[in-house]
Order: sequence, then C-alpha cells, then structure tokens
Amino acid sequence: MAAVIQPRDSTYRSRFLWLDRERGRFLVHRSAYTDPEIFEEEKRRILRKSWIVLGHDCEVPEKGDFIVRSVIDRELIFNRDVNGRVNAFFNTCRHRGASICREPRGNRKRFVCGYHGWAYRSSGELFDQHATFGYGERFNEGGFYNLLQVPRLAQRAGFWFVCFDKDAPPLDEYLAGAGEMLDSIADHSAAGMQVVRGCHEYEIKGNYKLICENSYDGYHLDLTHMSYVDYMKTMVKGLTAIDIRGRALSLGNGHACFELRIPTGRPVAQWLPVWGEEARLEIEAKKRELERRLGAEKAERLANVNRNMVIFPNSIINDQQTILMRTVTPTAHNRMIIRAWSFGPADETPVLRRIRNECVLSFLGPGGFATPDDVEMLELCQRGFETGDVEWNDISKGFHAGENTLRDENPHYDNELQMRAYWYRWDQIMSAPEQPR
Amino acid sequence: MKEKLLLRLEVEDFLYREASLLDEWNLKEWLTLFAPETRYEIAPTGDPEASELDAAEALFLVADDRERLEQRVIRLQKASAHAEYPHSRVRHIYSNIRVLSTDGDEIEATANFVTFRTKRSFTATYMGSQRYRLVRNGDSFLIRLKRNVLDLDSLVPQGKVSLIL
Repeated sequence: MAAVIQPRDSTYRSRFLWLDRERGRFLVHRSAYTDPEIFEEEKRRILRKSWIVLGHDCEVPEKGDFIVRSVIDRELIFNRDVNGRVNAFFNTCRHRGASICREPRGNRKRFVCGYHGWAYRSSGELFDQHATFGYGERFNEGGFYNLLQVPRLAQRAGFWFVCFDKDAPPLDEYLAGAGEMLDSIADHSAAGMQVVRGCHEYEIKGNYKLICENSYDGYHLDLTHMSYVDYMKTMVKGLTAIDIRGRALSLGNGHACFELRIPTGRPVAQWLPVWGEEARLEIEAKKRELERRLGAEKAERLANVNRNMVIFPNSIINDQQTILMRTVTPTAHNRMIIRAWSFGPADETPVLRRIRNECVLSFLGPGGFATPDDVEMLELCQRGFETGDVEWNDISKGFHAGENTLRDENPHYDNELQMRAYWYRWDQIMSAPEQPR
Repeated sequence: MKEKLLLRLEVEDFLYREASLLDEWNLKEWLTLFAPETRYEIAPTGDPEASELDAAEALFLVADDRERLEQRVIRLQKASAHAEYPHSRVRHIYSNIRVLSTDGDEIEATANFVTFRTKRSFTATYMGSQRYRLVRNGDSFLIRLKRNVLDLDSLVPQGKVSLIL
C-alpha cells in the first residue's frame, strides 16, 4: 500500500473528488454512490484489499465454537478449533461446493458436508470422504482439500479482522491510530469482554458508504435525532439542553472517529440519576476499579468519552453506552445489510448489564428512537441521488486551506473532517493507475 | 366449555380493537389499553429461542416499560420521527387467537400476526407470534405484556421496526 498522500493543490479534481480550497468546497461525485460499475471497481480495488472486522475473540470462547458470518460477498466460518486456534474458513466444501455449516452458530469438533459426506476437523483438515474406495493414499497431500482459510486473519485487542488480499500490509500497520482506540476498548475490563446475546440485522436501501458517513456524523445529531434528544431531556430530569463537547480525529489510512462528552450515561462508568441508587454504587465501584488499574486520567476518559469510529472502508466500532460493533455488507451499489451487536465487560453485574441493554435499545437499533430515522434519511439520500441531476455531494463543513486530514484533529465534533479523511483515502485508491490483474 | 368459548371471544374482541387502533395510528387511545405496569417487547430476530429470552440479558429490538412506551407514542406523533413522517400505511392481521391459561384475574393468550407496512411503494411484511398477559378491567382488559416474536432471520428487507407491531 502506497503512503497516503493528500492533494496539496489549491484545486484538485479527480473522477470523484473536487477540492476548491479558496471557496472552501469539498465535493464528492455522486456516481460513487450510484454507479453499479464503480461499485464493482470498488469491490475489486478497495473492499477485497482491506482489512475488515469479522468478530471478537469472546464470541467463540470455547474450543469448537463457530459462527457463520458474511464479509462483503463471502460467507465464512469463524471458529476456535480444538487446538484453541481461531480460523476463518470459506463455508464451501472442497468437493462439490455445498455450504458446509447450515446452522448460524454452535459448537462442533468436525464439519460434515451434507451432500457426499466429506468431513473436516475444526482445524479445517479433511479426514474422511465417506468412501471405502476410489481415492488414493496421497489424495489430500499437502492439505490440498482442507477447508480454505481466508488469505489473512489477524486480531488487535481481541477484534479479529480478515483480508482477502494476501499482499496486504500487516493489520497493525493498516489500523494506524485506530489500533490504539481498539486497545482502549479492551481496557473496559480486566476480565475481558463478553458478547450480549441477540443481534440487530437490517437492510438499508442505500450505498454502504452512507452508513459509514452517518456513523460518525456529529452534524446530524440534533436535527435527525431531535425526537431522541427530546426523549433524553424527559428521561434525564433537570436536563434542559444537552451540553455536547467533543472533537473529530483522523486516525490515518482513512480511519477516523469523533469523541463526545455527552451526559447520557454509560455502564462504564457514568451514572444517570434515572438509573437509581443501586446502579450509582455499582458504577462508582466500576469507576474506582478503572482508576486503580489505569490511573485517574485514563479512567476519567474511559468513563466519560463516547467514541464513534469507522475503520476504512466499512468496519464500525463504537464505544458508547455499550461497545457496539457494526459490520456493513454491501450487496449492491444501492443496498447494504447492517449487522450490529453489543459487548460488555465479562464481569459486569446484572444491574449494569440491564442498563447497558436498555441504553442500546432506546437509541440504537432498528426498533430504537434514533436508528430508524437514520435508515430513513439514508434511503432518502440514495433516492435523491438517483432521482436528481445534481452531480456533487458537499462535505465541506470545517474545511479550510491548511487542513491535513491524514493525522489531524478538529475541535468541533460536528465538522466533517472524519468524512474527508475517508474520501481522501477512497479517492487515492480509486484514482491510482490500476495494476494489471 | 361455554365459559371458555366466551372468554376467547372477549379476548378476540379486545385484540381486534387493539389492532384496529394501530391500523388507524390512534396511538393515544391504543396506549389506554395498557396497564400502569406493563411491557411491550419485540424479541431478537434469528434466535431460535427468542420467545424465552429476557430483555435484561439479551439485545431485543424493543423492550419498553410503561414510561418508554409512552415516550414511543409521543415520538411517533412528531414530524421529527422521520421514519414515520408521514405515517406509513399499516395493516395488522391477528389470527389463531387462543387463551392459554387464566390465573386469578390474569389471562395469558397468544395469537399469530401478519403486519404489512407500506411507504414509498415498498411493502414490508412482519410476521410471527404474540404473547399477551391481560388483566380484567371492568368488561374489558388491560395489557400487562405484549411480546412479539418475529419469524424472521433478520430485518432484510424490512430495514426497521418503526411502526408498532
């Protein structure tokens, strides 16, 4: 991967970006959201060459645990084999192709294809073809017929990522500053993380980059989510206006986040009066535990700062009222499937776990008080792209001549630095001369 | 037998009235059907044990107590609840209504449901089963629990549950 170079000219124009620094304009061509051919090009040049989050280590805690999960257009078996090693296999029999795992999750020491009975160990090794004759001794020499692993699989702070390009840079290098943010999530508990049962999976009729932009868009909060803000004001007695302070951070390689100090409470570890006295004691105890383990300064940040992060190009990991992982599977240029699930400390008390779930439900998720309105807005964006002759989208808020989105921060969380960092990276890859395949 | 049959008819009448208030988006009156202590829930999709899960331990789609249910109704009447402004057209079909048990003044009933939601020429279908705990209230009932379990692996292509099921 070439180093990221930010265009320096006062005007820059490519197929997709148009920067006019004198007029403070940063424009993205709408074909990036609407053109099926560009989507195919993007799959080839970006999605198949990037590291994409698959899941968290704690989702397959026991030997034999497996989960079937899609990444872009590939279906994978994410498992922990009997030797304790984590794998990501393509869910297809080496014989004639049938999907091997038909259950979405479970615990298995072996995977047996239902078609002709080819059987694989949890480590992927083919050990039986359900045939007494017809195959020679050297048939599976070199593991030729073992379940195929994804080309690259690696973890940071318990978050497992896959990449379909064997020549991709190492994960840590790819993650750049986003890696440290994942490390800080792991700091929530010395006991490790635990996945909360249940998952929100829903389709949005829009280009997948719309949800990435939306996930760390501070600018839309008070308008799109006005009805949620009203709800919070009712729930948090005495709150007349929600004081939001924050900043936007570019983390390198197209990754970015915004951080908010917002008094909406967190099980780790900011108490809200509406949660009651028992919760107050438990949250205070959690805060003291953080202080002992991490020091006062780090504990204060962990307890009070919410962070929404997009790891380029489509992994969303938020540290808010819960740790929320969102994977985005683009199924067409104007369709995506979101899968969102929640994590908390493995040693969390039942009271705090209940609060965690309540918080997620009231804001996030397709039945919550905010996400349905995001879904609606993103579908209206896609519709507007497809039914108007307007060519360019504007992402200029906070754009100024000296901005360096490669590793910069902006004192306003509701500027659009985050998205510009994403689009610089996206354009750099898409506008580079393509190497012959 | 006759008594059981009459009870079922009473429950059916009550549930059909509930469905009709939802179809009319008359949420204010719909809310009056709920008891002071109540739950309105939609269990997670794609979980074979969804009907047995507890919202304190698992990630539901909706798990409202009385207070949040009131807030949900207030929200859905605002133009700023964008997903439902203007309101979609909804049609709730309840069927296979059965009274499972009675315990004092409390009745447990189940129904199958299919609900259609149409907006911008797209019709989403939600189907599954519902469990009610009802309590006697004069010649009618109040709802202590309404739990929806969807027969869906995910909300593809529905996208959301912005309506009330």
